[in-house]
Amino acid sequence: MRAAATTSAGGVVAASDQGGQGGQARPASGLGSTLFLLLPAVGLCTVFILLPALLAIVGSFFEIGLGSTDWRFAGLTNYARAMDDPVFWIALRNNLFIVIGSVILQVGFGTVLAAILDRGIPKGGTVFRTIIFAPMVMSTIAVALIWLVILDPNVGALNTLVKSMGLPTPKLGWLGDPSISLGILLLIAMWQYTGFMMVLILAGLQGIPKELYEAATLDGARGLTAFRHITLPGIRNVLIVAVLITTIGGFKVFDLIFATTRGGPANATQVMGTYIYQQAFNLGNLGYANAMSVVLLIIAVILGALQLRVSRRA
Amino acid sequence: MGGPRFRLATLIAYGIVSLWSLLVIIPTLWMVLGAFKTRREFFLDPLGLPSTFGPEAFERALGAGIGTFLLNSAIVTVLSVILIVVVSGMAAYVLARTDSRWMRFVYLLIVAGFAVPVQAVLIPLFQLVSGAGMLNSLFGIVLPYAAYGIPFTIILFYAFFLDFPKELEEAALLDGCRPVKTFFHVVLPLTGPAIASAAIFQAVFIWNEFILALLMLTRPDLKTLTVGILQLGGEFTADWAAIMAGLSIAILPLLLIFVLAQKYFVRSLAGLGK
Repeated sequence: MRAAATTSAGGVVAASDQGGQGGQARPASGLGSTLFLLLPAVGLCTVFILLPALLAIVGSFFEIGLGSTDWRFAGLTNYARAMDDPVFWIALRNNLFIVIGSVILQVGFGTVLAAILDRGIPKGGTVFRTIIFAPMVMSTIAVALIWLVILDPNVGALNTLVKSMGLPTPKLGWLGDPSISLGILLLIAMWQYTGFMMVLILAGLQGIPKELYEAATLDGARGLTAFRHITLPGIRNVLIVAVLITTIGGFKVFDLIFATTRGGPANATQVMGTYIYQQAFNLGNLGYANAMSVVLLIIAVILGALQLRVSRRA
Repeated sequence: MGGPRFRLATLIAYGIVSLWSLLVIIPTLWMVLGAFKTRREFFLDPLGLPSTFGPEAFERALGAGIGTFLLNSAIVTVLSVILIVVVSGMAAYVLARTDSRWMRFVYLLIVAGFAVPVQAVLIPLFQLVSGAGMLNSLFGIVLPYAAYGIPFTIILFYAFFLDFPKELEEAALLDGCRPVKTFFHVVLPLTGPAIASAAIFQAVFIWNEFILALLMLTRPDLKTLTVGILQLGGEFTADWAAIMAGLSIAILPLLLIFVLAQKYFVRSLAGLGK
């Protein structure tokens, strides 16, 4: 049997060999190697994640002038400004629109596709999965540009297609018409991300034991009934995680809008990400941008915490 | 087992997935074909096929710097992924093998870091990196990229190491190996599949990353592919073929890797739901 020496504060606890139960094998050299292995990760994350987060919070209480050392304490002015700013609320509302729309479209249809690939078709599942997932590995910028060209009023394929069916095309263009531009962007996002949800949910579906379905069939429950009573409960946690991931993504959306409409026309597609960018890098209102960033940060952290708690339970 | 070989439900199922697959393939195909069209063909027959398949549009795209952008993306991605995997592996190993309040606290911090999106801290992050002189440096951008990829990767590796059999490490320790050496010579070589999944996930994310690259790499010869193609779209406003050629070049590398290494993608995604 082996006993190892204990070291102190580094948290490296030693255990003697007790038949393999409970304790974990302990290295005998302790603090030095622990720190060496941990420090790079902790260091990087502290410097580039934690520190900026703190700075954003602190900076939101200041008005920051053009020279970045010019900080004047402003209390809650920036936050008050956000409350009174109609564009801020439009952006938030657009984010919510994207979140709800994405959940319905991507998670909803992704579940349908996953269900089909899992038990609906006997062959070819992998091929379909590959094809449908593929847009996920394209950069959102590339996806945005592809669709920008497709939606182009002059050379785009969509207008030609629609006209050939005798239907009217939007006069201001698919992305230039404020009443439909956000919806169109939602559809583009669906094109790119549904495959992601499909694969995620498919993994969950494949974790449901086949015997459950066989037993249900023996009891006369098949198809939709089986879906309601076996499938849905079985993927409950995966579905929640999928919804949370989509929700977080809906708040973080930036690339798609930046590459297409930049928030226009007339703020119809403005979201938190693009508005923060605009305030900070186009208009120089750093303190204000920080305040809005903090709002985004709080939302993201709450959702992220939820996601992790649920996926631990899965 | 009676009944018709092709039930209606199965046909509908095939119909749905086939339709969606076509919806994915056709725009992509249209774009790639567009790289071979002439301007006239674009205006006269947007839905048609190109008449010739010359490489001129690709040459124009490459001339605008796509090749350089590609190289920059490759360098940044490879360096970042290596850094992420090694550093996360080291940290996750300690976190999984050590049971103490400190370790749990550190793990919680890391997990909290996962929830922070770059957009929410963009401004102070930018001030930080520009103040530190890290702008316009391929090596400079690798560090924040690594930082944002580490939490997810640690979470992945942590779960992996918790399930990893300890007998191998104990044997090595009995032989007198110090823990760091045990990690690098015994544990790391065996974490292959986990590394592959993590690496691929991060690689895709970093290759396609936009906003940090937009802000930090502004010099024309340092831009990454994702930023570069947007710029291309602006430069070549009427040269549709060149834009499409550029886009085709941009999406090809990852698409190829994806098709060849699918199972690693799927595996790392399955880990998200767990």
